[in-house]
Amino acid sequence: MKIQLLATTSNIEPLVATAVLTTTSGAQPSILYERMIDRKDKVAEIIERIEVQHGSILEHNRFVWGIIAEEHEVLDVLLKTKFLTFTRIGSKDWLLSGNLRAVIEFWSQQKNENSEALLNSIKHIVPNIFSNITREKNEN
Amino acid sequence: MKIRLLSYTNSKDIISKLPQLEISEAEFLSHCSFTFSIEGISRACSHQLVRHRIASFSQQSQRYIQVKKLDQNVVIPPKITEKAEREFRSSIEDTRNAYDKLITAGVEREDARFILPNATETSLLMTMDGKSLEHFFGLRLCSRAQWEIRSMAEEMLTQVKAVEPELYKGVGPYCIQLGRCPEGRFSCGKIVEMRKRYQ
Repeated sequence: MKIQLLATTSNIEPLVATAVLTTTSGAQPSILYERMIDRKDKVAEIIERIEVQHGSILEHNRFVWGIIAEEHEVLDVLLKTKFLTFTRIGSKDWLLSGNLRAVIEFWSQQKNENSEALLNSIKHIVPNIFSNITREKNEN
Repeated sequence: MKIRLLSYTNSKDIISKLPQLEISEAEFLSHCSFTFSIEGISRACSHQLVRHRIASFSQQSQRYIQVKKLDQNVVIPPKITEKAEREFRSSIEDTRNAYDKLITAGVEREDARFILPNATETSLLMTMDGKSLEHFFGLRLCSRAQWEIRSMAEEMLTQVKAVEPELYKGVGPYCIQLGRCPEGRFSCGKIVEMRKRYQ
């Protein structure tokens, strides 16, 4: 399976931090978001505290990939995760998309070449989260 | 109420990398995503909102956030302002006093909140894929939808159309999307007016 990241929503880590703070502080989400965009240190600090089990805060984003894969490879992924969306766009070409939670859960539950490739394709976009979850995985 | 589109997938980013892409609009929409900050709506409205299950929500928690000055943080329906504002405000004032007394008595916020009304203001982040958002507009822009969520949907559509005009061209309530009203005997009968408004 060949994977190419095509697009993502913007400011993913500041939005994760905004989601965390929205649930527990009285401030308005748009104000929190503005504060988080320019505070990389604060975003990293909040992400450090995240418990990945509370996954809904990781859902305010989307990644879109172009995939080249055989049908059986796509079926294998589809059978293992409910929250990734596939569309066939050619005989071996597919459009795939999902949010950070879906990617992380797929990776943590199905450690294989495909889940590693998906996670690796986004690690530069969510470096703090990547570092957080890979540390947790190594500790376990 | 304040609505702000914070983040979205830019369709041009996808299309520019797949220039030969042949895909139906509905399928393409399912790969798009929109995240909104929704502020100052009533809990009555957020209850309706979270019934749209193919979406993600991060809402202010009344377990963690104490409701201060309830009387200044409620949504008052226009019909109540028009017909019975004094009765409404009096009830809210009583509830505020009771809530504050519970907190002062040492009742935890997660229990004290049981007394709070549907009018209590709340704010949240909401993310929907493009297809679910189209469905949301179909239902909640209908003239039969409740006024608060309809007003919210109107503002969301305006902001989505500003960034993705092609994707959401012709999107409106279901009578616009389908070309006929699906409400049967409950139809408002204003399809011509709705067409003028949304097309």
